[in-house]
Amino acid sequence: MTNCKDIEEKLADWLENQLSPQEQAQVESHLKQCPACQQEWQAMQQVWMQMGQLPVPKPSPAMKIRFEAMLETYATTVEEQQTYSPRHLLQLVKQLWQSVWMPRLVYSLLLISIGLGAGYWLHKPSDSQISQYQHQIDTLSIQMQEMRQMMLLSLLENPSASERLRAVSLTQEFKRVDPKVIKALLTTLNNDPNVNVRLVTLEALAELADDPSVREGLVQSLAHQDSPLVQVALADIMVKLQEKRSIELLRELLKQKHVDGTVKSKIQQTIKELS
Amino acid sequence: MFQVKAGDLNKMGLLFERYHRKLFSFLYYMTGKDDASEDLVQNVFFRMLKYRHTFTGEGEFKTWMYHLARNVLADHSQKNKRSVLHEDVQNYSDRISSGAGADDSIYKEQELITLYDSLGKLSEEYREILVLSRFQELKYEEIARILNTTEGAVKVKVHRAMNQLKNIYLKLEQ
Repeated sequence: MTNCKDIEEKLADWLENQLSPQEQAQVESHLKQCPACQQEWQAMQQVWMQMGQLPVPKPSPAMKIRFEAMLETYATTVEEQQTYSPRHLLQLVKQLWQSVWMPRLVYSLLLISIGLGAGYWLHKPSDSQISQYQHQIDTLSIQMQEMRQMMLLSLLENPSASERLRAVSLTQEFKRVDPKVIKALLTTLNNDPNVNVRLVTLEALAELADDPSVREGLVQSLAHQDSPLVQVALADIMVKLQEKRSIELLRELLKQKHVDGTVKSKIQQTIKELS
Repeated sequence: MFQVKAGDLNKMGLLFERYHRKLFSFLYYMTGKDDASEDLVQNVFFRMLKYRHTFTGEGEFKTWMYHLARNVLADHSQKNKRSVLHEDVQNYSDRISSGAGADDSIYKEQELITLYDSLGKLSEEYREILVLSRFQELKYEEIARILNTTEGAVKVKVHRAMNQLKNIYLKLEQ
């Protein structure tokens, strides 16, 4: 015997046709015996049936039009959005490259090259400018040399022998030696009290022997030298320079009594080599 | 729907044709308003388009549609705090008269209006389950999936809702 509660629960299922035939028979047999459930069932069935009779609410035709409009709008926006998806990214980049960046790039490159060209053209060193610069540099270096020669000259006057030595060594840095300097050097060579200074001066002058006045000075110097060391060095230089004019002076030197024996033999050898 | 998901948006028209009436009636019973329901239908279909990538195909399209509809509805009732079936009785009785056959009496018409009134007085939860089962003609199994619950729970709920509706109806009839 099923109770009313069980049956009640099944009524809704019956309405929905969700009962098995067996269950249905069970409910039906109960309803026959139970007026309360019978009443319940009838009321429920009535409500259920009436629910089915309720007219189905219908949307207005305008809704479809609105939907279609929405769909269309959406479709177009989606198409636009799709251009931002990865698949279209490459195309987008390509498009940008072709449409926007390319002319810009070309334009900027053009500007850069124009700028470079203009800069080069404006600052292109003209020949006159080059020569002007060169001239300035030359002038500067000449001035520099002049200054050095001035320094040399003043240094040669210095009482200190070592300062005078320094002065003589400066001649090595000169490309072109001023006649004043040569004169000063020759004076030093003939008159300097210090033998060492005279020897260094002699070496320096030997370097400058291309100058005829130097040669002349060197030959004449033979007569002024009394130091054996300087005499020997001079004799060596005469051989080196193949200065035949010195033979006469060397012979005169041989005649002098105070000349050292080794120097004399050196001079004789030199005369032999020169003649 | 898969075709829509794949980008064939025109197939959406087909889905609209097939489902918009059902959807409208569901929303109509839930809101009681004609124009609002139309707006909501529109809204649901818009969401279908917008969230078409979330359609996995695991559940049926119908289930998915009702999910969206319920979300839209929830948004709507949040905005319009009152969610009672707000029927325009005159409007509705017009519908009933025009829809009724020639032999239908005024009495019957009155009955239907009462029933409609009763539905409006039902709690939203019960109304929804009755609308889904009776008007949308969905199976318990489908309703269970839409409501994320079990078939058994749906069964119990339908039963309780029917009982309550019947009680309200009988009360109003007296």
